[in-house]
Amino acid sequence: MATEVVMPKQGNSVESCIILEWKVKEGDQVAIGDVVCEAETDKSTIEVESSAEGTVLKLLYQAGEEVPVMQPMMIVGQKGEQVSVAPEAEAPEVSGSAPVSAGKASSQEVPVTVSVASAGAQGVSPRARAASLAMGIDPASISASGPKGRVIERDVVAAASARAPLSPVAKEALAQGGLQSPAQGSGIGGRILSTDLTSPVVAASAPLSSDASFPGPMVETPVKGVRKVTAKRMHESIATTAQFTMNAYADATALQSLRQRLKSSPAEMGLQKVTINDIILFAVAKTLKDFGYMNSHFLGDRMVNFTHVHLGCAVDTPRGLLVPVVKFADSRSLKQISDEFKRLASMCMEGKAQPDDLTGGTFTVTNLGAMGIDTFTPVLNVPEVAILGVGGISMRAIEDEEGDYAFIPHIALSLTIDHQGVDGAPAARFLKALCENIAAVDTLLAL
Amino acid sequence: MEHFDLIVIGAGPGGYVAAERAGALGKKVLLIEKDQLGGVCTNWGCIPTKSLLNSAKLYKHALESEKMGVVAKAVTYDLPAAMAWKQETIETLRSGIAYLMKSNHVTVVMGEAAFVDAHHVQVGDSLYEGEHLIIATGSSPAVPPIPGHDLPHVLTSNEILSIGELPESLVVIGGGVIGIEFASYFSSVGVKVTVIEMMDEILPMMDGEFAKLVRREMKEVDFHLGCRVTAISADGVSYTDAKGNALQVAAAKVLLSVGRRPNVNGLDRLGMVITRSGIEVDDRLRTNIPNIHAIGDVNGKSLLAHSASRMAEVVISNLYGTQKMRMRYHAIPWAVYGMPEAAGCGLTEQEAKKQGREVLCATTQMRANGRFLAEHGKRAAGLCKVVVDAKTKALLGVHLLGPYSSEMIHGAAVMIESELRIQDVKEIVFPHPSVSEIIKDTLFAIDHTL
Repeated sequence: MATEVVMPKQGNSVESCIILEWKVKEGDQVAIGDVVCEAETDKSTIEVESSAEGTVLKLLYQAGEEVPVMQPMMIVGQKGEQVSVAPEAEAPEVSGSAPVSAGKASSQEVPVTVSVASAGAQGVSPRARAASLAMGIDPASISASGPKGRVIERDVVAAASARAPLSPVAKEALAQGGLQSPAQGSGIGGRILSTDLTSPVVAASAPLSSDASFPGPMVETPVKGVRKVTAKRMHESIATTAQFTMNAYADATALQSLRQRLKSSPAEMGLQKVTINDIILFAVAKTLKDFGYMNSHFLGDRMVNFTHVHLGCAVDTPRGLLVPVVKFADSRSLKQISDEFKRLASMCMEGKAQPDDLTGGTFTVTNLGAMGIDTFTPVLNVPEVAILGVGGISMRAIEDEEGDYAFIPHIALSLTIDHQGVDGAPAARFLKALCENIAAVDTLLAL
Repeated sequence: MEHFDLIVIGAGPGGYVAAERAGALGKKVLLIEKDQLGGVCTNWGCIPTKSLLNSAKLYKHALESEKMGVVAKAVTYDLPAAMAWKQETIETLRSGIAYLMKSNHVTVVMGEAAFVDAHHVQVGDSLYEGEHLIIATGSSPAVPPIPGHDLPHVLTSNEILSIGELPESLVVIGGGVIGIEFASYFSSVGVKVTVIEMMDEILPMMDGEFAKLVRREMKEVDFHLGCRVTAISADGVSYTDAKGNALQVAAAKVLLSVGRRPNVNGLDRLGMVITRSGIEVDDRLRTNIPNIHAIGDVNGKSLLAHSASRMAEVVISNLYGTQKMRMRYHAIPWAVYGMPEAAGCGLTEQEAKKQGREVLCATTQMRANGRFLAEHGKRAAGLCKVVVDAKTKALLGVHLLGPYSSEMIHGAAVMIESELRIQDVKEIVFPHPSVSEIIKDTLFAIDHTL
């Protein structure tokens, strides 16, 4: 009996996962608990395990495709069992339910959309794949009429006859293989020319452009994964909070000298890699202990003050912005904070951070200082009531007691607060204390 | 204030075609023209020059047709009669355009348009509102600041069309299409013509070997290439040659044909992006202002009447039709109606090489063509050259020099637009005897296989 393996749910906010790589192929044996694929959620990369035992009969998605959670992604059954309705192209009437759905799936009511242009979503039959290769049509562009929205051979034939005429040169190039034709080309009446095979025609509604003309070439990318979550959360933040940013500069003399001393400390102490950012995280965690109202969540009808500091710190990764959380940062030493943040940051960079590593923050730090940014307006990581932006270190002229001016290195700090939960003066008091703690970071270490 | 779906400014081959097509689709259209319906093409360009050139051609044939058995005696060229014929042609076409506008319910307002904002145009005291605007204001002859350019005997292509008598001598400054057509006309009717061109060759869009032959065929004309005009005086034109020698040539009349400038007056106030060559547009002729399109010479993309008309159709398609049309420039034919006539479409060998494309080329003599030989003899000049992609064998360019070239070049446009290969063109049947057969024959010269 064939069984569908579904994409498991990854926490409450994850709607879909992108399959990064299949670890099994059709025909492989799998046991319950075997890793079948690696998938990317909006927060991290996960390994998906099989919930069934048997032979992999069908992979319903290809690597790179997005699978909604709780949707079947693979069919497991007995070797030789027929899954895709066998005589597909000839089958005059194909009902929406394939034989496999009789078993476990029926209790799960998988919504199936037939005849949507979602080819890739539900797979392409082998005959359809061969036909599309021969005719040079991208199966993903074909409207599917097969069972469970699968592209079958007759869909390819229909797409080929609906396609704009091919120029002789384009026809010859397609016959040689390796190229795919769009449904419409750039020639007379949409005729597909050889150049359309190598540079795809932009959809009719989108402005088409050549290098020389306005507005020049452009690339359209679907918003998904980390980008989608970031977009949603940033918009939610701006839309639901009363954000207010204040800037200050902290004397960075002690900060820089501490960093120098750590850098030249004996290797066996493991302190050489402590960064300015780590020291700032440490100072923030220590300072927050005395300012409970800054270490809070604003939840509309109530506020939650946290006893412990779980410090989020923004990391710029190839996938986009991720904010891993150093848990119990207030009880950690500088070295412990540094080590933990390094571990989390490298997991994020490799796309291996687990959803748990990315949630539960009570306060966030974001650092653009390395990029030469002075002050900026960080966007709140809701429902946290505050976020600290760390800028670069620059010289500021400071008047001493004798009325002389000296240039002292200062680090720029930008504190954004949610004015719904915190007022300006209390927040300013926190920022002032933070500046003082950074200026006297040696003393802070002794606490 | 009257509201329109579309306001078209300029009634040349871009503007009036846009107005006609939109009107035919039931849109409420206003067409504004400051001078004459038909624009430069009908009144000071394509049409009047064709009229005059044809009269010159007949005159020349009459003088030279004795060898074919036609003996014409006391043949003279009557400029006023030729001008009258030209004028009648213009007026007939103009009234034809007026009729087209009327039958497509296009409102025509004569006067200069002032741009108020992206939706409002003022003519005199009347303010008009348009959902969409098409700017089709064309171009004007460029007048370079050469000392003496404002002397009364210095003319542009506009004024030279209404001269009362043939000058003794004419110096044409600029050897582009306009300059060469006038040089061809005036030299054919007995005027001593000199062409001074700054570049090393005339007719820059033409294949190099063709341009050379055109010069050789225009025997009566003195060509000075690579020369820079320094001053114009009452009796002559001073110039320096490639070696830096200062020279002078006598001129009763001087024609300035050094290029054309887009008519963009008053558009900067709309915040429109305008460069030296004209209004910036994309391949749907959209300007940076969402409801304004710019077509024809004013955008500087392709200064040809038929390009303007095609641009008009692309815009109307995108506003009121399939919205699928884009402007393609790679197969726009051009023609020079001198003696001999020349036409081309697509890439020249030189352009293909510059683009780094590997091409195969073949050139054949028209005297090998039956009809050409029958009508012009074995000494007449005529060439056909084809440029073909070396790998795909797709036709990239066709270049013709000889009679009827302009009438058969559209065939090349069809082939290039359709990306036909040599083997595909071989399957097309050409009428015999016709000069057009030379295209197929020249392709066979590249590849004889069947």
